[in-house]
Amino acid sequence: MYLEEKQLEASVESLISRVAHVKNALHSFIYKLENEYERLTWPSVLDNFALLSGQLNTINKLLKNEKTPSFRNQVIIPLLLSPDRDEDLAKLTEQRVPVFSHEIVPDYLRTKPDPEVEEQEKQLSAEAARIGPEVAQKQIQTLNKLCSNLLEKLNNPREDRDAESATMRQNKSSFNPADTNALVGAVAFGKGLSKCRPPGPVAPGHPGQGPMMSGGPTLQQVTIGGGSGQQAGMGGPVAPQQQGQPGKMPSSIKTNIKSASGSMHPYNR
Amino acid sequence: MEAPPVTVMPVTGGTINMMEYLLQGSVLDQALESLLHRLRGLCDNMEPETFTDHELVYLLKGQQGNPFILRARRSLSHPKAPWHLRYLGQPEVGDKSRHALVRNCVDVAASHSLPDFLNEMGFRMDHEFVANGHIFRKGAMKIVVSKLSRILVPGNTENTERLSLSYLVELSVLAPAGQDTVSEDMRSFAEQLKPLVHLEKIDPSKQRH
Repeated sequence: MYLEEKQLEASVESLISRVAHVKNALHSFIYKLENEYERLTWPSVLDNFALLSGQLNTINKLLKNEKTPSFRNQVIIPLLLSPDRDEDLAKLTEQRVPVFSHEIVPDYLRTKPDPEVEEQEKQLSAEAARIGPEVAQKQIQTLNKLCSNLLEKLNNPREDRDAESATMRQNKSSFNPADTNALVGAVAFGKGLSKCRPPGPVAPGHPGQGPMMSGGPTLQQVTIGGGSGQQAGMGGPVAPQQQGQPGKMPSSIKTNIKSASGSMHPYNR
Repeated sequence: MEAPPVTVMPVTGGTINMMEYLLQGSVLDQALESLLHRLRGLCDNMEPETFTDHELVYLLKGQQGNPFILRARRSLSHPKAPWHLRYLGQPEVGDKSRHALVRNCVDVAASHSLPDFLNEMGFRMDHEFVANGHIFRKGAMKIVVSKLSRILVPGNTENTERLSLSYLVELSVLAPAGQDTVSEDMRSFAEQLKPLVHLEKIDPSKQRH
């Protein structure tokens, strides 16, 4: 008996100290929320919540401790209720409970929950008993799976972020590969810059199938005859009759070129 | 006294064989501003330079298949500046791992009688275009962002029409032959411009078809 009393006393002492810690943490948190809410950041709020949660955990562990006697077996009976102010009690409770009267007894010495809460609890336990063990097990498994999925998603942020940013980048791509090819073709060998093209709207990226053939030699009639056929300007040698006939390549022109170059060039390479 | 020995072979050329290392890409008009900002930050600190050039490409057709190509370029924004004549050889087919297009390059300056001279030599102009845009430098690397326009009436550089809605971006280095570290530097610089523009080695012969 004496051992149990000692145990009870010790556990009550430690419980009181733990509860005091929780009270202090709550006090500082409320103060911060009320006075410093402009400078408060979400991480620090989370820190406070984490602190409270840790302290509640320790209290739970303390209560579950085998050395702690079951408090349910203890009964608290108020021996004297008086409407007078009790200074010692006020000091003990930091002015929160100045009078130990019949108003405060139902709240502070309560052991059973409210009637409404009791009703709800009864309903919930009836519901749980009704659905049967297999369904309950399945529900438990679903809940576990959802939680583990969520944890995975939260623990691997990098892959998710990369996938999202890659799709975002594709939507606002800043270059067009078709345009690249068109421009490179234009610079490298004049794709789309043939002078036979009649001026008109050009579809971007499609420089038009101008009369350019593979293999290098142009399709434009080239008169090697020195001065004839030359237009004013930067030495444009295009014979005027090919204007307006894009895409038509009479083969006779090429033979003209070949024969002319053979005879005309004094500087043979 | 015997005459000092004279080399039998004539002294050929005094220039080092210069190669041009090239990477090309393009950027859409709406992304041009961000690209220019990024280049201004990455490249050497100088006044942003714009240019307007008129380039003419001359062909000399011999008996064989491949014509000889020369590129003549003049500045429309500095009309008194000399013309610039450039020869670009065939891209070197080296190892595939080389990151840039490498080709032989010969540059000379010429007077304003260049077009007539080329015509007299037998060259014929194949095509011409106007390029205007911005030029940046980073060490030996030159980055050119240019908008190409087609000339509608031959010889009239006022009347031009844009070739596409994109700007051509070229990263080039002129270096003597045999320096492969150049392409590594170019590739790391090109990495810094992603994802705005992808600079890559585009083989012109693959573009013909």
